[in-house]
Amino acid sequence: MSHDIHKYAFFLGCIAPNRYPGIEAAAIRTGKKLDIELVPLKGASCCPAPGAFGSIDLNVWYAMAARNLILAEQMNMDIALICNGCYKSIWEVNHKLKHNDELRDSVNEVLKEVDMEYKGTSNVYHLAELYYNDEVCGLNKLRDSVTTPLSGVKVACHYGCHLLKPAKDREFAGGAIGDSEHPMWFEELVDALGAEAVEYRNKMQCCGAGGGVRGYDIAHSLDITNEKLTNMTAAGADAIADTCPFCQLQFDRGQFEIGQKFGVEWHVPVLHYCEMLGLAQGMSPVELGLDLHQTSCKPFLDKLKGGQ
Amino acid sequence: MVYTGKNAAAAEAPEEPRIGVFICHCGTNIAGSIDVPAVRDYAATIPHVVVAQNYAYMCSTPGQNMIKDAIAEHHLTGVVVAACTPRLHEPTFRTATANGGLNPFRFEMANIRDQGSWVHMHDWDGGTAKAKDAIRIAVAKATKLEDLYPMSVPVEHRALVVGAGIGGIQASMDLAAAGIETYLIEKQPTIGGRMSQLDKTFPTLDCSQCILSPKMAEAGRTPGIKLYTLAEIENVEGYIGNFDVTIRRHARGVLTPNEAAAKGIIGGGCTGCGDCSNVCPVVKPNEWEFNMAPRKAIYICHAQVVPLIYTIDFDACVKCGLCITACGTKKAIDLEMQDELFTIKVGTVILATGYEAFPIEQKKEWGYKLYDNVITSLEFERLICASGPTIGHLVRPSDGETPQSVGFVLCAGSRDNTGIGKPYCSRFCCMYSLKHAHQVIEKIPGCRAYIFYMDIRSFGKAYEEFYYRVQNEGAKFIRGRVAQIQELPNKNLIVVAEDTLLGNQVQIEVDLVVLAAAIQPTAETEIVRRQFGVSCSGDKWLLEAHPKLNPCGTTTAGVYLAGVCQGPKDIPDTVAQAEGAASAASIPIHSGHVELEPYYAQCMQNLCAGCGMCTRLCPYSALSMTVVDGRTVMEVTAAKCKGCGTCGGFCPGGAIKMQHFTSPQILAQIDAFFLGGEQ
Amino acid sequence: MTDEWKPKILGIICNWCSYAGADGAGSARTQYPPDVRIVRVMCTGRIDTLFVLKAFADGADGVLVSGCHFGDCHYLAGNFKAAKRMFLVKSILNNMGIEHRRFRMTFVSASEGAKWATVITDVINTIKEIGPSPIAEERKRRGL
Repeated sequence: MSHDIHKYAFFLGCIAPNRYPGIEAAAIRTGKKLDIELVPLKGASCCPAPGAFGSIDLNVWYAMAARNLILAEQMNMDIALICNGCYKSIWEVNHKLKHNDELRDSVNEVLKEVDMEYKGTSNVYHLAELYYNDEVCGLNKLRDSVTTPLSGVKVACHYGCHLLKPAKDREFAGGAIGDSEHPMWFEELVDALGAEAVEYRNKMQCCGAGGGVRGYDIAHSLDITNEKLTNMTAAGADAIADTCPFCQLQFDRGQFEIGQKFGVEWHVPVLHYCEMLGLAQGMSPVELGLDLHQTSCKPFLDKLKGGQ
Repeated sequence: MVYTGKNAAAAEAPEEPRIGVFICHCGTNIAGSIDVPAVRDYAATIPHVVVAQNYAYMCSTPGQNMIKDAIAEHHLTGVVVAACTPRLHEPTFRTATANGGLNPFRFEMANIRDQGSWVHMHDWDGGTAKAKDAIRIAVAKATKLEDLYPMSVPVEHRALVVGAGIGGIQASMDLAAAGIETYLIEKQPTIGGRMSQLDKTFPTLDCSQCILSPKMAEAGRTPGIKLYTLAEIENVEGYIGNFDVTIRRHARGVLTPNEAAAKGIIGGGCTGCGDCSNVCPVVKPNEWEFNMAPRKAIYICHAQVVPLIYTIDFDACVKCGLCITACGTKKAIDLEMQDELFTIKVGTVILATGYEAFPIEQKKEWGYKLYDNVITSLEFERLICASGPTIGHLVRPSDGETPQSVGFVLCAGSRDNTGIGKPYCSRFCCMYSLKHAHQVIEKIPGCRAYIFYMDIRSFGKAYEEFYYRVQNEGAKFIRGRVAQIQELPNKNLIVVAEDTLLGNQVQIEVDLVVLAAAIQPTAETEIVRRQFGVSCSGDKWLLEAHPKLNPCGTTTAGVYLAGVCQGPKDIPDTVAQAEGAASAASIPIHSGHVELEPYYAQCMQNLCAGCGMCTRLCPYSALSMTVVDGRTVMEVTAAKCKGCGTCGGFCPGGAIKMQHFTSPQILAQIDAFFLGGEQ
Repeated sequence: MTDEWKPKILGIICNWCSYAGADGAGSARTQYPPDVRIVRVMCTGRIDTLFVLKAFADGADGVLVSGCHFGDCHYLAGNFKAAKRMFLVKSILNNMGIEHRRFRMTFVSASEGAKWATVITDVINTIKEIGPSPIAEERKRRGL
């Protein structure tokens, strides 16, 4: 295990800073104990959202993502990010541009207008992937950083779709955690914090939000979310862990919306992995902005205290 | 053949070459994409060409007669036929050349179909130009061809069959019945292969063991079959008629009665009584039962093994010696037994190395090895089989309960282009899954059977009728791929699939799921293939010499294929191919000799500087150094040389002559391409 | 008829894998451009470096040597020995001032008809990109 500081350009995305600032705070603060330094990526725009932009005009999607990549290239850094949607946009565009000369030339033609050129010198990582990677952090280091273990709680892990799919286009952590049908690495990450990750039915199902479903057909979207919540709670989950602010939004706000629309009451706290890591490293719920979640995190926090 | 005379080391003083060129239309196969008359007119202008003709089908009798007549009329010294590939019709035209009175090796072929008209179907000018060049190149070689005479070598009156599943057993029995002593080599402790693990066979529903075990027993006692189980091929040398094959017999730890007798133990050796196994304290899972039943460290796979000799699993044995005491005066057990290597000489070889299941756990979406109640078809066969671990009571692994609903997932890893799985059809899964559905409906009253399929391929005799029968028995057929299998807390399974006939997604809860896993060649197939120099197709099945006209042969003369190692096939097809392979393998043996193509190396010793590099390049130890008139030079043992030419490609002095592929011939071809031609 | 330059490319290929693969492309009617002419040998091991150099001396725009995949050679390791020799060819070509990309060794098995078509297309495109052989140009200039 090395003690070199790993520096990354930190790409925030849109939902985390606007809705869940605790994720950002946790990512930066917890990184200090893990020798991961997150440097703000100044001037970054929206990733841009893969569903909204990618479905309508690919060229805009390529060019805007490339611009974000260039900002990291100018810092001579790889990008670390905390959102599956951002991962899809920025990782995938980076991958496409690196392997397709024609596409790269056409994107550079567009970016010439702002005096920018994509070179393909940076890589893109999800922070969760870095936590799992022994060469950067690894489970042992993660475990060692824990001061207040999250013992006594059962957590349902939600991987989200864009992180691992389409599987044939992903090189997630060099294939070590590349299984998109039945992965277990997120559970290991959660277990490392002292919580108990539970297996539940159809765990790789979508949260219901992505791909424009939330925007287009909210009832259908919430129906999917409701099914997930049913499966998670059937397995005894006290909380949901996610790696994506948009999934988090869907589960968090979705429970309220399900109540309104279908009259089904849910009270399952939803936390981003960074927030859980923050708690485990001793950050307070207020520091993590957990009071800003729509669905109260209190049952989870109470259970934690009870367990301790 | 008409020609006479003996092979001369050096050609006679070359006469002025007179070449005849014959261009085939192959109906419209060639003439439809190439301007044959223009090619013929051009061919007539090539230096040394004295006659150029074209004909609809050169391989027909009139076509062959054209060659024969032209040789006499024009006093030809060489013949060029521009047609298909020499891999198809070189033997035909060599015979025609010989019938015309020329040495058959005075023939050269220009491939203007397989590598001409067929691949340039829409490029009339380009294809025509290429055909002209191909003929010019062939003529250049023909002007330099020499008389050659095939070597006749005797064929050993013995055969080898590798793999003793139903294919290997059938082939061995046929060969033995034809009076050929046959070695049958099997890696497992018993013969029988996959078929012995099956319960019933489709569509007749006769019991697999009932029809197989008499054959197994007969193979074990036929005097003409030398059976070696727990044995593998260690090394292969030689060529058709004279293969030297080294066999490794793994230490069994138990002596057969014959082996005991040879050691002077009167009335000793294993009788299969099982007293040893009863006292053995080590319990291991029985791989033959897919680890669903226990066995001891000294064991037999199942009750009907052939030979009925116990085997010690030396990885598990603790050498406590209890078995030795139990065996008593039979003295069959030798805990210090070592592997044994011995070499056999055989004339021909049949490979029947079979298949294994694709590791279907790689398709994580179906949860094999993750969910208790997802099993494979082969496991199902053992669970439904009266001699299996549950005495034929189908139970689900999680709780031992009888399932009331079973889902069968067809094409599990077959016809799958996702990268995980096999693109081909495994060919017998449809039929055995129909059989499985029939079995659960018959054995478990009220049990529902759901078959998730892409297409039901019931292609064989009485197969389609069996399909109707299973439909009438009430099996539910859902046409669509299974996306996912989910496990419920009670260990029931939800099969999530598309029903393409209803245009719906379906989710069906079942107690047990059976995956009809794709099949792939056994791991040993790749090793054996390389030992015998047999090619494989892209999917790793062994490659037949011709997919239609030589399905049992391989590109290695004297090596034949039987059964699934050549590609997925069911039992009737395997047996049929085994009989075909046995017939093919017996032909060289019964004719007593084979003719080898005279493509061997010769050393022009006056040019050889004796560096000896070639002797190290030769993969067959065919070259050696000798002293002639005080000079160290190389000499070739022609019978060992297979004619690759690696020595000739290296020799810095140009002292090695590769017959029929000599340097002057190849250089003439190169020069003809670049320096000849229409300007 | 156009005056488009047609490269002259020689393919020396082994009987068991690449020649069979090329026939396979024919059986499947896989189309590819016609600019490569074939000389068949039993094994790429037979190919003397001089054959390749002679082709270039004669004005070849490109030469392709194609054999079995490593481990698949009908004669155990002839392709391996050939491959080692072909590295030598590349370095000689560089020293002669002939673009080494004009020469290529590939491995196409008997079942890879589609790959053969891809290889041929790629070889022809490469040679078209490099242009006519300087030796061929010089021969033409001298009227040889």
